[in-house]
Amino acid sequence: MQRRQLIALSAGALAMPALVTAPARAAVETREQHGYRIRTFGVRAGSGSRDVACNSDGTVWFCGQRDGTLNLLDPRDGGLKVISLGTNAAPHGVVVGPDGAAWVTEGGQNAIARVDHRDHRVQLWKLPADKPSSNLNTLVFDTSGILWFTGQGGVIGRFEPASERMQVWDAPRGYGPYGITRTPQGTIWYVSLAGNYLAQIDLASGTPRVVEPPTPQQGARRVWSDSQGRLWISEWNSGHVSRHDPKDGSWKTWKLPGERPRCYSVYVDDRDAIWLTDFAANAIVRFDPPTETFLSFPSDKPGANVRQMAGRPGEAWGGESGTNRIVVIDKPLA
Amino acid sequence: MRAWLAAAVVFVVSDGALAQDCARQAFAPCQACHALATDAGQRPGPQLVGVIGRPVAGDPAFDYSPALRAARDNGDVWTRDKLDAFLSDPEAMYPGQWMGSPPIRDAAVRTALLCVLGGGS
Repeated sequence: MQRRQLIALSAGALAMPALVTAPARAAVETREQHGYRIRTFGVRAGSGSRDVACNSDGTVWFCGQRDGTLNLLDPRDGGLKVISLGTNAAPHGVVVGPDGAAWVTEGGQNAIARVDHRDHRVQLWKLPADKPSSNLNTLVFDTSGILWFTGQGGVIGRFEPASERMQVWDAPRGYGPYGITRTPQGTIWYVSLAGNYLAQIDLASGTPRVVEPPTPQQGARRVWSDSQGRLWISEWNSGHVSRHDPKDGSWKTWKLPGERPRCYSVYVDDRDAIWLTDFAANAIVRFDPPTETFLSFPSDKPGANVRQMAGRPGEAWGGESGTNRIVVIDKPLA
Repeated sequence: MRAWLAAAVVFVVSDGALAQDCARQAFAPCQACHALATDAGQRPGPQLVGVIGRPVAGDPAFDYSPALRAARDNGDVWTRDKLDAFLSDPEAMYPGQWMGSPPIRDAAVRTALLCVLGGGS
């Protein structure tokens, strides 16, 4: 089951580890809306900037799904490092691992990738041969350092970095596994976009326990936990954001503003504010649970298409895949 | 290239008619969002029955991105060549469209997929 493949880098390539362009700088623009500062970083035309992950040193990883790269942005000076993940690469999701490296669902090569944060060396572990078209999507580490991942082709899996052991299972209802998250209690949950469900994974056996959201065919796309372990779910088909509390099994659902919202992603920040993206409104939308109110931050460019968000205290980050920009909304100025 | 694409598209002459035998697996990655049936229920993306020859943004049950609605209003139609170019880099043709799939750079993969989308068996 375990497969390990290092991208073949020559000694010459290692001398300039996998950089496909000379170090560049992202153009930064700043604007203000609703008392929040919004910064956008024009990263690279054609990169298809999408999922992001924040490092503790202030830098931000993002996937260039369109050109097969992982990129490191330094927002302090706009510095940009571009790392090729290999021929036919098309990375979707990225997280920072407990080892400090970037870990990537590298759908183009049907592999889990690791990019070292110091020398940017790329390692790949391919999925088993009997899962050739997994359409890898999203990933998260559990509290014991095991990586859990989803594939829209209808799989969920786990990878143990220490032993390089990978296991992949067929998901309930086939196609669809998408967002995945860890709660403060250490449980792992994912959602299925085509399967229209939320599920908790048994960490010992890998078996999912399906939980049905209240809205049929809602298109549960992404999921994130708040500080209490409640699961927040962005629903693409219904245009809702839903909250499930595993402690009592309860659900609550809110429809985003607008006639026909399309809720793509969800991220819960350190204050338990809910950051959503709505493709129909071309906006990032902040939801405040105590007041049950939405605050919309439309992009200043059409077709922004923020497909995922992440962050750190006071900063909510996302990738505008349609404009090749990275965006961050800082905490209110006042 | 994947083994299943070794013989991506096979043309079979039978009784004077030209039938297409497609590598159906080519459509597998698309099925997470799309159906090749009109009665498949709600999916994350539009159904693709008869998409070749259909206007862009041509599934009346799906609310498309502004980018594709503008293309439809402009009279754009999914010809085989246009769809081939779209699949090779969707964002290049219609920036801001909603589909999140990466470019399909392998022409053989696109050929196999177009065979399925064209109604081959």
